[in-house]
Amino acid sequence: MRNPKRHGVPLLLLALLLAACGSPGAPVDPAPVGSVRPPMPANAAVETAVEDSGSAEENCDPTASLAPNPSVPAGSTMDAIRDRGHLVVGVDQNTFLFGFRNPTTGMLEGFDIDIAKEIARELLGDPEAVQFKAITSAQRIPALKNGEVDLVVRTFSVTCERLQEINFSTVYYVAGQRVLVEKNSKVDGVEDLGGKRVCAAKASTSLKNIANAEPKPIPVSVDDWSDCLVMLQQGQVEAVSTDDTILAGMAEQDPTTKIVGERFTDELYGIGIPKENGDMVRYVNAVLEKVRNGPWQSSYNRWLLDRLGPASPPAPTYQ
Amino acid sequence: MTSTVTHRGPGVPTSEPPDEPRGPRSGFTWLLELPGDAVRSITRSAARTPGRLSLIATGLIVLSLLTGLVGTLAVQDRANTIDGLIEHREPLAAAAQEVYGSLSDADATAASAFLSTGAEPPALRERYQLDIAKAGAALAKAASDSGSVAAAAEQVDILSRQIPVYTGLIETARANNRQGFPAGAAYLREASELMRSTILPAAHRLYEIDTERLAAEQDDATGVPWLTAVLVLGLAAALVAAQVYLKRRTNRVFNVGLLVATVAVGVAILWTAAALTVQSVLVSSGRGDGTEQADLLVRARIAALQARANETLTLVARGGGDAYEKEFGALFGQFAGRDGQGGLLGQARERAAGLPAGPHIESAAGNAETWLRAHEEVRGLEQAGDYQGAVEKAISGRDEQGAAKAFGRVDGDLTAAITSARQSFLDDTTNGSRALTLLAPGFAVLAVIAALGTTLGIRERLREYR
Repeated sequence: MRNPKRHGVPLLLLALLLAACGSPGAPVDPAPVGSVRPPMPANAAVETAVEDSGSAEENCDPTASLAPNPSVPAGSTMDAIRDRGHLVVGVDQNTFLFGFRNPTTGMLEGFDIDIAKEIARELLGDPEAVQFKAITSAQRIPALKNGEVDLVVRTFSVTCERLQEINFSTVYYVAGQRVLVEKNSKVDGVEDLGGKRVCAAKASTSLKNIANAEPKPIPVSVDDWSDCLVMLQQGQVEAVSTDDTILAGMAEQDPTTKIVGERFTDELYGIGIPKENGDMVRYVNAVLEKVRNGPWQSSYNRWLLDRLGPASPPAPTYQ
Repeated sequence: MTSTVTHRGPGVPTSEPPDEPRGPRSGFTWLLELPGDAVRSITRSAARTPGRLSLIATGLIVLSLLTGLVGTLAVQDRANTIDGLIEHREPLAAAAQEVYGSLSDADATAASAFLSTGAEPPALRERYQLDIAKAGAALAKAASDSGSVAAAAEQVDILSRQIPVYTGLIETARANNRQGFPAGAAYLREASELMRSTILPAAHRLYEIDTERLAAEQDDATGVPWLTAVLVLGLAAALVAAQVYLKRRTNRVFNVGLLVATVAVGVAILWTAAALTVQSVLVSSGRGDGTEQADLLVRARIAALQARANETLTLVARGGGDAYEKEFGALFGQFAGRDGQGGLLGQARERAAGLPAGPHIESAAGNAETWLRAHEEVRGLEQAGDYQGAVEKAISGRDEQGAAKAFGRVDGDLTAAITSARQSFLDDTTNGSRALTLLAPGFAVLAVIAALGTTLGIRERLREYR
């Protein structure tokens, strides 16, 4: 009589187990969420076809500007600006160290802003007589061509291609393109960026340089340089590649990033001026002559010395 | 109605075929023959007056009880719909409105906070935090009922996923801003982009859905209950017909039982008609003066909030804000027309004459004009190169004629007007609900009285045949 009972218990358990084997299916996921992606800055896009720069025509020296002339004859562009009472300058308000809005004062500050103020000081006797217009990199040439601004002082590289549409002053700063990555990144320069997403501002020379690099990175374009820093911090791009000056400002804002690689281009910053205002080009060049002898260095020391080491103003060349 | 059966009878053959059991009956054939048998037995008994009287009585009683049941349920359903409007549907629409309004305000406030310099103004920070808290609380309320509507659930899903992302970006922007880094502005732009491209459209859609559902339920609460109407009128007609028939058969003018039944049905018809008419009129007025007015005002307020966001963003963009300025123009036009007199606010004003919301709307229109003037001054200052002056005019919390103060007053007036319109809805709809007091049980009792009256009245006649 005992044996059947002993067998009975395991049998019963087996039966229960078998009954439980009819699977009830997986538990219901009450609110299925697949993947999440951080939001993108407005107008950020992966560039599939960046216009080729036409690789600078022969016999074009982009650095050679018109000879300086400090006089302000009646009826000149400068005279009209004096009548108006203020200079209208297209600048950046998002690039730390060069042109940015100081959130504690609301004022625009930076190396480019200082240059613009020096021109206003010479022309109008008041460094504050400037109406700043914040523009994106892509708006620089249209703003000059439409006459919305008198000048553009905005990390603006002189190129032969751009010279066909607008005028440039003499070169007031020489920067060079490098790469900014997260501190723990294995990337050591532009040559390690093949197939990786790299950010730059729309219509900048940096974007073209990225598109033309070998092996080919995937260029991602944004409106403003600080959008690149946002995308790097959000992990949406592997690197930001542009002028060391702009990168220095980004590294300053985020100590978990580093600048790597050698300079692989020379970016010659000039002041953009409408094509038809040759008199203004000469006048601005005359002002820059003065700026090179003093104000340049003090502004450099204020904004860039700690980040980029000692430097002196580039010598001008004229046609 | 029931008389169709009673008029038949003598003409129908009653004899049965003699050779009925033809072989063994299968298990279910008898079931099929059951209705036939029943009809035959009824028609047999209807051939004689007592049988006919019983049939009439049965028909009337069944019809009375059926009418009572259908009518009571219909009235109860109506009462439930109205209670649902007050306790459920309207608060949900208000919650969706709160989500939409608070988020639009958060966007505008974050942009203003960016423009202000130095230490972040505590008032703006508090306003932003209040907006986010309100939006979150209202979203939980709106979400509680979205399950049944797929489109609403989808919007709630978008909102619940993206609002935390938005607040995260705003806090990152704030941390960068406090260190003096321009990356803060970039995060703010990204947050604003997320708000405008994803969050606000979802909040807008949710508000539309809830407003449509409110309107649909208000339609339900003002319609005519056709089935009940047909039944109760049919019952009255049948009772009258039965009495005419009895009078012909028995030569007695009055049958007390049937008379009581007829009076009960008459009372039910009058009471129901009066109660439902009063209730419909009140619910409709709660819709016209309440929810539709509130909807106009809500849309006006949201257009104003978004116009304000664009006004500040124009200054944030500092010369590059033509698109924002254009949008300000379009939104302000929607809100109060080009001159501050038309638009949604103008429409609300026309409808609000004599209503409690009226004075608030008048005041809003006045302040909208002040705001528009201030806005034009801001534009003028910026174009003349006085950026700091323009910012001061736009966000100063001290300048009574400045854009910030004028907008603040517009917002306050509109909020008060919306509350007032919601109160009109609540008052009218509650009164409408009161018109139905006791109607459902009353209708049931009257139907039972009609059934009892019929029973007693016809039994009295049947006795005479024994």
